Amino acid sequence: MKLENRLPAEGINSSDENPLKELAWLVVGSLGAVFLLAFAVSLAAQWLAPRIPYKYEARLAATLPPFATTPNNDAGRAVQAELRAIADRLAAHMDLPDEMVLRVGYRDEATVNAFATLGSQVVFFRGLLTKLESEDALAMVMAHELAHLKYRHASAALGRGVAIGVILSVVSSDLGSSAAGNVLSTAGLATLLSFNRDQERAADDAALHALHAEYGHIGGAIDLFNVMKTLPGGQRESSSAAVELLRTHPLTNSRVDAVAQWASDNGAATDRPRRPLPPAIAALRSVSKP
Amino acid sequence: MLDLIELGLFITLLVVGFFAGSIVEKRHYASIRKREREYADVLAYAVRFPPDRVTPQRAFLVHGTVVISSDYFKTFVAGLRNLFGGRVRTYETLMERARREAMLRLKHHARSQGAKLVICVRFETTTISTGWAASIEVFAFGTALIPDHNTALSFPSRSVAAA
Amino acid sequence: MLVSNLELVPGRRILAHYGIVQGSTVRAKHVGKDIFAGLKNIVGGELKGYTELMQEARQEAVERMIAEAQSMGANAILNVRFATTSIAAGAAEILAYGSAVQLDGA
Repeated sequence: MKLENRLPAEGINSSDENPLKELAWLVVGSLGAVFLLAFAVSLAAQWLAPRIPYKYEARLAATLPPFATTPNNDAGRAVQAELRAIADRLAAHMDLPDEMVLRVGYRDEATVNAFATLGSQVVFFRGLLTKLESEDALAMVMAHELAHLKYRHASAALGRGVAIGVILSVVSSDLGSSAAGNVLSTAGLATLLSFNRDQERAADDAALHALHAEYGHIGGAIDLFNVMKTLPGGQRESSSAAVELLRTHPLTNSRVDAVAQWASDNGAATDRPRRPLPPAIAALRSVSKP
Repeated sequence: MLDLIELGLFITLLVVGFFAGSIVEKRHYASIRKREREYADVLAYAVRFPPDRVTPQRAFLVHGTVVISSDYFKTFVAGLRNLFGGRVRTYETLMERARREAMLRLKHHARSQGAKLVICVRFETTTISTGWAASIEVFAFGTALIPDHNTALSFPSRSVAAA
Repeated sequence: MLVSNLELVPGRRILAHYGIVQGSTVRAKHVGKDIFAGLKNIVGGELKGYTELMQEARQEAVERMIAEAQSMGANAILNVRFATTSIAAGAAEILAYGSAVQLDGA
């Protein structure tokens, strides 16, 4: 019997293929899969949310602290009543469902913002009201928020957020390295945000219809976006065209373009005289510092 | 901003892991091949009984052990691989290096004690995980035999490296 | 190629020992199998997906071991043993190793 020492051939138990090729395939594949999944879930949530009856949404909203609060002084309550009047006038043109119980709230805070949320609630802040110069501009904001309520965007966003959160936590906890999980989470978030932008565009469109029906022209929308450009952050926005992927709202310039497009499509005027602000709201402008 | 820094750090680690890792691997493989030719005269088999006509004078346990760690790049690729399944090529080279290194150390141990034949070689592999990364430990052990000087044992005069 | 975990093959003589041959493969499971396994953990029973995965991996490891032996010019592998390790990040390594020999006869 001979005893020998023979060496086996190389490359049987390992391959010297460039690992970068494998990495490239895996990254493309996993990002693609996450995007696809997030997209599909978004579509499903978008379809399902408006079909949930209002009373369930109201019940869910009732478990959270109320958003549309009533101010505790007379001036504040007067503002809230005027906001309610504007909302009712616009709602008449917007075909809102009967089961929807609209609540309009006003908060005496310096934040320059307004939002629509679960439970058919719309909230305005003093900061925003002091920046607007005409009732038309204010009506554009109100109509936009009412459109969000009409399309049940808040429920859609909630359902979508929950579903995507669950998927992403399953996918990223499965990976050995948390870094890979972080990259994939960002990919899912980007898809989520892009849907939000579509919702904003739909809301702008419905708002323009209501504005035109109530006031006869859409100058208020132009005024509103001009004001938004003058806000801090507005300057930066109009100069850089980049990074739209990671913002929740479309850039103001895109919204202005959309208004101009709507005006020419529907033959709407933009230069009629504007209605002045209601008295209690106008009073806020003189009280606050410029 | 913090997200960008995190992303930048992650990419830096990945790049460093890839380049440094592939340099280390190439060097290790070169060293392994060189030493395999050097240790060609030490024979190692998995058989349990000594070959015919070998009457051992001494028999003792010899072993070789090594722990090799995976770099950032390898771990990341394996993590992604977990989504799709299949062959994890980056870990395969890791395992092969560890096994061949352990064998060489076993042969070195045998030769340093004066033996040229090792039988009944066994391998034990363990993972040592430090947080997110994996390190592989391979432990090879066998029985080294030093034959009687009366025994005729046909050692090869050279090793045959296969094509 | 004869593969056996016997020490000696009855009726055949060993002409030469060539050395140790090894075959190994590292396999990862995918998300679908993982989720299913998580659910199966509630009711218990065989995880067929994983069984098939390990089966394929073992098959491939043995094939690689045979390839190494063939490259050495051997015609049998004796004393075959298997070792399985799980590497963190959900991958498992199957190692098959044995002694490559030249047997006589047909």
